[in-house]
Amino acid sequence: MTLFQIAINNLRRRKSKMVFVVLGLVIGIATIVSVYNVVESMKEQMTRQMAEFGANIVITPDTGELAFSYGGITIPEVLFDVEKLSMADVDKINEIPARQMVRAVAPKLLGVAHTGGRNVIVAGSDLQSEFTIKPWFRLQQPGEMGETILVTGDAGEMDYEKLNLAREDISTLILTDGEVLLGAAIAEELGVMPGDTLEIAGREFQVFALLEEMGSAEDNQVLMNLAVSQEILQRPGEVTVIEVSADYSLGSEATLLAQLVGALPQAEVTSLRQAALGRDEMLTRLTRFGASVSILVLFVGMLVVTLTMSGAVRERTREIGIFRAIGFRKSHVTKIILMEGAMVSLIGGVIGYVAGMVAARITGPLLSGMEITVPWRADIFFGAVLLALFIGALASLYPARQASKLDPAEALRFI
Amino acid sequence: MSEVLIKTDNLRKTYKSFGDEVEALRGVSLEIYKGESVAVMGQSGSGKSTLLSIIGGLNPPSTGKIEIDGIDLYALSQEKRADFRREYLGFVFQQFQLIPYLTAMENVMLPLTTTSHSGRQKREMAEHVLARVGLAGKMNRLPNQMSGGEQERVAIARAIVNEPPLVLADEPTGSLDTRTGEEIMALFHELNSEGLTILMVTHNPENTTSMGRTIIMKDGQLCTDKAEILQLATRKAR
Repeated sequence: MTLFQIAINNLRRRKSKMVFVVLGLVIGIATIVSVYNVVESMKEQMTRQMAEFGANIVITPDTGELAFSYGGITIPEVLFDVEKLSMADVDKINEIPARQMVRAVAPKLLGVAHTGGRNVIVAGSDLQSEFTIKPWFRLQQPGEMGETILVTGDAGEMDYEKLNLAREDISTLILTDGEVLLGAAIAEELGVMPGDTLEIAGREFQVFALLEEMGSAEDNQVLMNLAVSQEILQRPGEVTVIEVSADYSLGSEATLLAQLVGALPQAEVTSLRQAALGRDEMLTRLTRFGASVSILVLFVGMLVVTLTMSGAVRERTREIGIFRAIGFRKSHVTKIILMEGAMVSLIGGVIGYVAGMVAARITGPLLSGMEITVPWRADIFFGAVLLALFIGALASLYPARQASKLDPAEALRFI
Repeated sequence: MSEVLIKTDNLRKTYKSFGDEVEALRGVSLEIYKGESVAVMGQSGSGKSTLLSIIGGLNPPSTGKIEIDGIDLYALSQEKRADFRREYLGFVFQQFQLIPYLTAMENVMLPLTTTSHSGRQKREMAEHVLARVGLAGKMNRLPNQMSGGEQERVAIARAIVNEPPLVLADEPTGSLDTRTGEEIMALFHELNSEGLTILMVTHNPENTTSMGRTIIMKDGQLCTDKAEILQLATRKAR
């Protein structure tokens, strides 16, 4: 016979009361687990979406646009005073005071060139910056169409949250001036494989590798070094668009945008993050609301545990008196009550976690309006159980103290 | 003459009841020797149960002193007194007071819970005393699956499992029929003949026949009225 056995036997005897205690904890823990999981999954989904944007600032030439109406006939927009971007603008970006916030700058020249009897879009860029800024870029394995490799060398699913945009292995991706990368769709259209030779704008290029199909514009592009594209498109020094990846945890977004606009007055600076801010705000509100509800529910759960266990202690007055009379110390009685609280909490924590996860998986997509997945996570499981144990222990302290303070003579009504 | 096991000196106990002070004990001094069996008799409210609870270390006296085996009981801290009860005393309560959700074996093992014996040792000790009180075949029964006499035997087994030198019993036959009561008293007599000191509170004069000595209490004091003592002696002789 041990104190633990006494505690467990008592719980067995008082099943219905203990069900209430467990239920109180289950509701509290389930609420916290579900709210936490939904919010976390939404955050992850948003991070993923942000990462899929790759760049969070896009710089394009500022075009004056004008719509004419003449004699009731609307004439299409007319572009005028188009200031083209150049490599000098890239240098200006690198010189702004908030440069430390800029993780990568990817200038790109887009144009149309002739190959194999048809026109193709040529994208000249610094491939290392391009791959840095677009972490989902993957190369098909040479010679085995359809099978892909990650540029990162990581065989698993890409973790956008932990993405290291300064991947060292990108440095090995160096195209010579005579090599190109082809998007999946254009490669299929042209019927070329890695190693084949392709004539673009009268110049011969060898296909270095193919990009995996991504469902984006890159599927139809021929990627090459920026300088080579400027040469074959006969647009020396010119850049069509500059994509910038910024880390807003290192400084203010407004400051960075202001400095970019200041450095490039002739260009249009667009922040892609603004679009996500609305959702971010909504997420913050949801987090606060969820946290408030969770704390409230948990507090109520704690009260249920305290009241039920206090009631149980009162019912066990005589029994506790016997324990004390036959030599149990106050600390032994306290331990029995705390063990009972801990066991109930453990059960409440485990069931609460499962209930919370099920609730999160069902209601998460409905609440968020996003395609979120809620994974079963060991850290949340242990967190939930520990929290339940903590709450259970806290709630059992008063009844345990009540029990240990019982006067054994009074409890046994000797007089 | 054997050694003194219990020595009380001018024990007084006063309770407050609805603002009034009630004197439950009014200067009780007695000595009980090792190996004795002593019955404490008296009317309801005479203070016999109060005396037992004070000797049991459960209820400090208002004044006076009590020593068991030379140890000043109420000079000990509450926790040390709990340890003392575990080592020195066995209790047999009124109405058995078994834990309803524990089997006979588990009830008997209760006083061993906080000792350093291994689980196997505890089980062996409990089995031994249960066999000793004649319950070898009923160890795994819950109290509500046993008769009153069997529950009393479990209570006695629980009191002696720790091999204490002193057993305190409060009306152990109060809720038993005459025949079962006699069996229980015979069991107490056997235990006493094996060297166990027994102090028993009872209001049944029949119980005193198997006890070595009888103390009579009246109005919180030991009775010194010769007529009353003689009356009891006559009843015992019959």
